[in-house]
Amino acid sequence: MTRTPFPTAPADVSWRPHARRVALWSGVAGLVLVLGGALVALSWRSELPSTVASHWGSDGHPNGFSSLGTYVAVLVVTGVLCVAGFSAICWFWGHAAMTRRMVGASSVWIGAFLAVITVGSLWNQRGLTDAAHASDHGGVVALAILVPLVPAVVAALLVPGDPRIAATAPVRVDAARTPLAPSERAVWLRRVRGGPGLVVGVVAIAVTAAAAVLTHLWPLLVVPVLLTALLASFTEFEVRVDASGLHVRSLLGWPRTFVPADEVLAASTTTVNAFAEFGGWGWRVGRGGRIGIVPRSGEALLVERTGGRSLVVTVDDAATGAALLNTLADRAR
Amino acid sequence: MIWRIDPTSGAPVYLQLVSQVHVALARGDLTPGERLPSARELAESLELNMHTVLHAYQQLRDDGVIELRRGRGAVVVAGTAHGRDHVRTTLAAYAAAARDAGLSPEAAVALLKEEMLR
Repeated sequence: MTRTPFPTAPADVSWRPHARRVALWSGVAGLVLVLGGALVALSWRSELPSTVASHWGSDGHPNGFSSLGTYVAVLVVTGVLCVAGFSAICWFWGHAAMTRRMVGASSVWIGAFLAVITVGSLWNQRGLTDAAHASDHGGVVALAILVPLVPAVVAALLVPGDPRIAATAPVRVDAARTPLAPSERAVWLRRVRGGPGLVVGVVAIAVTAAAAVLTHLWPLLVVPVLLTALLASFTEFEVRVDASGLHVRSLLGWPRTFVPADEVLAASTTTVNAFAEFGGWGWRVGRGGRIGIVPRSGEALLVERTGGRSLVVTVDDAATGAALLNTLADRAR
Repeated sequence: MIWRIDPTSGAPVYLQLVSQVHVALARGDLTPGERLPSARELAESLELNMHTVLHAYQQLRDDGVIELRRGRGAVVVAGTAHGRDHVRTTLAAYAAAARDAGLSPEAAVALLKEEMLR
């Protein structure tokens, strides 16, 4: 856990109702989708072979079989575990709207993904007597990845953004300041290039692309394509501190975030260990619901924000940015 | 880097921006190949007219400090770091000498300016 050089204020729990609401509705939505898919599958019981294909080999032919009940149960249990995990993250660490959005989108996506997998894979097996003749699965998987992106984005948009909570107390006195004349205006700009996460991303793209090509499951090329788009947006960020507050923005425009100056309790520098604190690189949620924009480990700008929220960005020369943000936050009071 | 302007200081705002780039280069805060922020972004952040920032960038281009390239924006020209280390070490010596002589920072800067404008 990152230590701040400041005494910690009493915990602000105003985020809890927001987090619990999203944890509940997105969890219910995810479960309804999984169970809906399961019910459709079970309604086809009479039309399906006695054992259904449950796993497909690299040649596109099924190589694993199980009873319909087991197959559906495995998918439902997977869904329940995933959705419960996402909801738990939101319930305990949903301090920031960004976390709640990610959870809303993830629960709906995984629910819809499993529903499409269940229904799609069994649709092909209706009327078969021997599941070994079940057709190629690649198209279903590609569909199951892509189609749920639509409701997932809708779910993310349904989650309200961070409420505006202007700080009532002044910026902490022990936080560093930039000496600035009253009439002076200032901005601090810094670019952050993606670190080790990019290597992981490139490897993941290469592996998924090679897998799709080698197995001739062409529809699965959607995975490296989606990963490439994601990686491109995580390649370079710009961090900006100006009179309006702190902006962190991908050079492609998304993802981005903004902390208004009047919501800054204190900015400081810290040293981040991306793996230990956030479980990896990228845009992440860490312990205490802290948002981490951590393309690398090391020097970082830590912003403690109203509403129990905090955000950390790994960026060089963070001390300059922190001091200026504190000064401009003073002005915003 | 940090950019700061003071509209009440009397110096034209565009020149304030220009001199900051020179200072940042001298201090090594800006390095060749680095991109300056887009004129629009800098103007927005500092609540300036975009033409003020563009004016500063044109001046910097005329000074041979940056290149303005379509699509890539303002890029610090390679080679501008030449001789800077020497200037910095000499400057440190000058500052030490000025302190020893009991000069105020204002007086030391004024002397330096006079020398450079000679």
